[in-house]
Amino acid sequence: MENLMVEMRSKFADHDDFFIEEELIHQTVIYLMGFKTLIDYPKSNQYIRQMASSAASVEELLTNLSDRLDVGSEQMVNAVLEGKLIIVIQKDQRNAIVDPVALNLTRSIDEPKNESPIQASIDAFVEDLNTNVGLIRKRLKTDRLLHCSFQVGELEKRNLSMLYINGRAPNDLVEKVNEQLKQIGTDIESIDDLNRHFGLRKWSPVSHFFPTEVPIQAIHSLKKNRIVLLLDNYPFALVFPHLLLDMFSIVNDRNFPYILSVMLRVLRVVGAVLTLILPALYVALVSVNPEIFKFDLALFVAKSREGIPVPALLETIIMVVLIDLILEAIVRLPKSIGPTISMVGGVILGQAMVEAKLVSTLLGIVITAIVISSSVVAGIQNSLYIRLLKYPILILASIFGILGIFTGLALTGIYLASLTSFHIPYTTFHMKREGDTK
Amino acid sequence: MTHRFQIAIVFFIIHLSFGFLLYPELIYKLTDTGHWLVVLCQGVLQLLLILLYMKGLNYFPNEDIVDIYLKMGRLIAFVILLPFVLNLTVLVALNIRTYTEVINSLFLLRTPHWPIALLLYFISAYTATKGLGTILRSSVFIFFMIIPFILFISFSSIVNFDFHNGFPIRDASIDFLLDMEFYYLMGFSAFLFLGFMVSNKPLVFRDILIAWFSVIILYLAFVYIPLFIFGQETVVTLSLPFVIAMDSVDIRWLAFNRQTMFFGISSIGFMLIFNAVMLWMISQIMQKLFSKLRVKSALWIIIFSIIGYIAGLFIPNQVWTNTLILWNRGAQVYFMLILPITIYIYGVVIKRKGTSDERKSSL
Repeated sequence: MENLMVEMRSKFADHDDFFIEEELIHQTVIYLMGFKTLIDYPKSNQYIRQMASSAASVEELLTNLSDRLDVGSEQMVNAVLEGKLIIVIQKDQRNAIVDPVALNLTRSIDEPKNESPIQASIDAFVEDLNTNVGLIRKRLKTDRLLHCSFQVGELEKRNLSMLYINGRAPNDLVEKVNEQLKQIGTDIESIDDLNRHFGLRKWSPVSHFFPTEVPIQAIHSLKKNRIVLLLDNYPFALVFPHLLLDMFSIVNDRNFPYILSVMLRVLRVVGAVLTLILPALYVALVSVNPEIFKFDLALFVAKSREGIPVPALLETIIMVVLIDLILEAIVRLPKSIGPTISMVGGVILGQAMVEAKLVSTLLGIVITAIVISSSVVAGIQNSLYIRLLKYPILILASIFGILGIFTGLALTGIYLASLTSFHIPYTTFHMKREGDTK
Repeated sequence: MTHRFQIAIVFFIIHLSFGFLLYPELIYKLTDTGHWLVVLCQGVLQLLLILLYMKGLNYFPNEDIVDIYLKMGRLIAFVILLPFVLNLTVLVALNIRTYTEVINSLFLLRTPHWPIALLLYFISAYTATKGLGTILRSSVFIFFMIIPFILFISFSSIVNFDFHNGFPIRDASIDFLLDMEFYYLMGFSAFLFLGFMVSNKPLVFRDILIAWFSVIILYLAFVYIPLFIFGQETVVTLSLPFVIAMDSVDIRWLAFNRQTMFFGISSIGFMLIFNAVMLWMISQIMQKLFSKLRVKSALWIIIFSIIGYIAGLFIPNQVWTNTLILWNRGAQVYFMLILPITIYIYGVVIKRKGTSDERKSSL
């Protein structure tokens, strides 16, 4: 017995939040062990005492408290790491792993922070895995919703849940994902780590997963034959595979009359296309192909650039990069400083640059348009990658003009068409049940 | 989006890419009146060959034509398919060369043609290396990107029409059937790629028929739009009549100066897919014929793009290009006849042999 205690003590010698408390129950000395940072000790202690008062002996108390009795030291160490409470009886080497009253380390269900649903329920996933699964189960009451859980990682075992609807999600896809998840041997710290296990996409802006914060969106994806992955301590559901249409349609659109939801989707497509081509179009029309405009329009464009010392490409790149910087800064800064940045950035910078004749007024309009239009697509990740893809088109346009824009756009389309996750193309419109591959 | 639908779209795109520039010119040379009859005859002839080809291919499920020729014998495969590869390479080179010149004259007057050709080669080769799935999917993407342009230029050119230019539409003469040029015209059909699109679902003739029908409608539009605008006497003297017809249209409310821009854009889109398909076909043939070399198909694509690029650079002028195009079309007609017929005959022979073997074994 003493051996076990010594072993535990030495194992956790460097953990100052590890406690071993001695208690006297039914004239027997018992030891309670665990992490102070994970267990609410006073409450747990009180709970055990209450249980003890109704039990005849210590042995009965242990059987009442837990079904994991008399385990080895290795299992005890793991249980301590998981935040369990361990009870050890001094005299006859018995022990038990008990679920204690845990410190409340998770936030309660809250409104979504990154997605703002209109006319829809406004609860969002939280860090706790079980709560997240519960949020889905509460809305999708069917026995066909299957749940596989995994523990992945090398240093820390991270819980990962895979949800899918039996008979909806293609079987071979589920199998492949299952296999892939079982094989993960490294720590999963971020979505990018997980991404790497689902096929090489190191240099691709398009992820294999579409993260969503809203349970309804996740359920909708499940019904659309997809798989949803949930990670503990990560308040997003990861929809797999991520498809192009996720960018343009979200489930909340369907709360509006059909014609309005069509309008919203068309607006998103227009937004994405404008973000891609507007800066490129400006450069192409100003510097490479001014002759394709009608004469008076060409004159107007030329006039708006009168006296501007930098070439059109440089002018556009400066402005586009500045705007991307501002957007990034606003996200990172505390909420109290954000508005200042947007004021300084938007009003002063824009106005001053135009007045100083560094950029043309026309470019000012173009930049405003692309900032707004890049934000209409669903999902921050998608908005970011659309913003990234505009640069290659911009460069091509500066060399080849209108031809560059078109080839750039075609190249973007071809690139997106070439992406697949487990043989399901990114540009699939509708995922079929039997595992549509085209 | 089904596989079959995508193949039909590729069929449509390749034909438009083939016919966009030079097709009307050849038609005007063939006949003075009743142009529709020529287009239709060519179409029907093509349809018969497609039917034969598909019948032949359906004898060999899950096999592309390279597999079938290898079955016939290695020597036969080499003799028939290597010249075919050469023909395809020349086709790609000429295609890019022609379009580069059109682009040069439409958008980029001061840019030398080698960077444009390089860009076009890069995109086609990139698409081809990504494989058949990508080609098919991106063809749908490009199709929907371009169709609005095509419809717009076709309909907007109506403002300049003088319908009397199209008359007389009735012409009893079918002399053109005896003209060699008519058979060159046949070279503007591209259906040989169908033999490479292997899938577990066999091709359905109906899908191809719909695509074929749309192609014929658009071919008629390409022939008749310049004709309605200029009239037969003028049109025979023009080179690239469709481009000039587009150039003549001026719409007040449009912000852009010239219609040709839209035309140029749409033709490039079609050309990219067309070349990607051709390069991919080359890589398939080479990889299967020289399977011992263990060269990846992507490498074959790169090798042949470089060959095509360099060959294209050495063509001195437009006159040469046109001559080469005619030769190439002649070769194309040869393959369009020889491939479907041999495959069909071989299919029938194999089937007969199979049934007679069965009979023997049952006896």
